[in-house]
Amino acid sequence: MMMPPLWQLMLVAGLAALVCRLGGYLAMRFLPASPRLDAALRATPVAVMAGITAMALAAGGLVEALALGAAVALTALTRNDVGAAVAGVAVAAGLRALGL
Amino acid sequence: MTRAPFTWAGFRRGLRMGLALGLPILVYGLAFGMVAAQVQIGWATALGMSVTIFSGSAQLALVSLMQGGTATLWTAAAAVLVINARYLLFGATLRPWLSAAGPARALPSLLLLGDANWIATMRAAERGEEDRAYLAGTGVMLMTGWLTGTLIGAVFGSVLPDPRALGADLMLPAFAASMMTVMVRSRAALIPVAVGAGAALVVAQLAGHAWGIVGAGVAGAAVAALTARPGGRG
Repeated sequence: MMMPPLWQLMLVAGLAALVCRLGGYLAMRFLPASPRLDAALRATPVAVMAGITAMALAAGGLVEALALGAAVALTALTRNDVGAAVAGVAVAAGLRALGL
Repeated sequence: MTRAPFTWAGFRRGLRMGLALGLPILVYGLAFGMVAAQVQIGWATALGMSVTIFSGSAQLALVSLMQGGTATLWTAAAAVLVINARYLLFGATLRPWLSAAGPARALPSLLLLGDANWIATMRAAERGEEDRAYLAGTGVMLMTGWLTGTLIGAVFGSVLPDPRALGADLMLPAFAASMMTVMVRSRAALIPVAVGAGAALVVAQLAGHAWGIVGAGVAGAAVAALTARPGGRG
């Protein structure tokens, strides 16, 4: 089967990406505000952050666990989340440079 | 209704945050550019994909469809929709905060939405960031990193560092872990953490990483909705 021309593939893929970026935001217009919706929206970011962390731990090994453990521990100690995250990445790069 | 602030000052705060997020994304852009070069996609096409799709995993999926000769308009659209479905969730959660800027500012800002700056913006909003230009500021840095990386990778190919050696693969998890840690302010907030982590692991096992993110968000939201006390602040 012939592939469609490149510009058509890119147009369709670009439109699909646009639908995903705007769709959720626009759809929320039609959801009536309620305390339950409020609670759901407030819980979502933390749940997603925990999910991303858990998947990285499950896919990784010792290096990943130490790096993310450092990020969490440093955040708890310093309350500087950005600095702690960068430090966590540096821990991973350092340990990998050592051959771990 | 008065509009929320949308100023240069907020945009610059976003840019500053985006600097930390954009560097690892540049490294991933290099990797995508290299893949594109290997399969003989020219630099201009690779750059065009990075502008219009702006999602590493979706772009790699599209390239592999093209390489395998199985790309049709349907498979291309489906691949991007399936991989980027999480952005539907991200946009929905941004609505209460972002809509105060009005649609003419909110919708263009959403074009610059990515995983990393969604996390950073939700964290900023929780901390009390009022300026809605923050999202666009972080997004411009992500886009700049992504396009710069794509271009360099597509042109210079194989002279580039391995993203893993630089720890770039852990940027998103490290930010997620740190920002989650500051946002858990009560014992009750540990419930979405546990639900999100558990759901992500199960769903990722069945349907892959991108759906793991969706699973975490949907499960966390569902449990919070079901356990919310009607009339109370949950």
